Amino acid sequence: MIAVALDESVEAVREWVDAADPRPTYPVLVDQEHLVAELFGIINVPSTVWIDESGRVVRPPDITPADNRFRDFTKIDAAVHHGALRRWVREGELPLPAEEVRARRQAPTPELQLARAERRLGVHLLRGGRDDAARRHLDRAAALAPMDWTIRRGSMPLVGEDPFGQAFFDFYTAWEAAGRPGYGFTGHDD
Amino acid sequence: MEHIDVMVVRPGDVATVGATRDGDGLLLEPVALAQATGWTLEPQGLCRGDICVPTRGRAGLVRDGLVDLATFGDVVGAPVVVDAAEGAVSITEPAGRRAGELASLAAPALELPDLDGRPVRLSDFTGRKRLLLAWASW
Repeated sequence: MIAVALDESVEAVREWVDAADPRPTYPVLVDQEHLVAELFGIINVPSTVWIDESGRVVRPPDITPADNRFRDFTKIDAAVHHGALRRWVREGELPLPAEEVRARRQAPTPELQLARAERRLGVHLLRGGRDDAARRHLDRAAALAPMDWTIRRGSMPLVGEDPFGQAFFDFYTAWEAAGRPGYGFTGHDD
Repeated sequence: MEHIDVMVVRPGDVATVGATRDGDGLLLEPVALAQATGWTLEPQGLCRGDICVPTRGRAGLVRDGLVDLATFGDVVGAPVVVDAAEGAVSITEPAGRRAGELASLAAPALELPDLDGRPVRLSDFTGRKRLLLAWASW
């Protein structure tokens, strides 16, 4: 397993790693630029991608909670993913035919790519202390990709918003009303 | 019009190139454009690798030998964000190119730092099954 944190603050990542018991024996990487989101087509966390021995994606990104503590929100049973993962690791059972893997990969829209460029510029301006300019670009990113969690919720800590606060619940309500776009396909309750 | 240093934000790195600021626009010498974007201005158009995009008739792309960055983005179909006031640009790959990479099912090259800043590559684990987990503190 390779864990990649879509976080600006290395310290925020370190806090979680230090609190983990047992400590991770796998690499924990920090992705301030959200590269993994763009390269693998990830729009929310926690998402997992399965990559086989030869470097082929055999299961596209999917929302895969580690347990069921947020099941009321996620409507996903973690055990379904865990079972499929064990069968792949132990028996080599592939979860999906290649055509299905391809079909489930979500190609970015031009608006989403532009949103990623806007978000990245906002982050770099923020690092340089250019808060007002940064906010303009982060806001534009949000307007271009209103349903992308890595852009919407992921930007909240950057601008001092609580990722469990009102701004998040407003986003969540709009996302749910839109039919929970881009959400997972394994272990769904409905 | 003034000459300034511009921060060019790309997926995975940042470069600085000299540019000319003209109002809300940023213009680059072709050599700086190649440095910043990988695209070169050739007689047949804008080229990168084996792809050339014709530029004939694209008004405003080249002025006095300088390439306008926003128009460049339109011509090659790449997302380009120009913030002339901040002297900053952000460029990434066109949606169609990313879509093609995703459809290939080949895991793209990925290199990121661990908590101690040491680079780790996805390809360091070739030959083993890999579970890539994207998570966040938020």
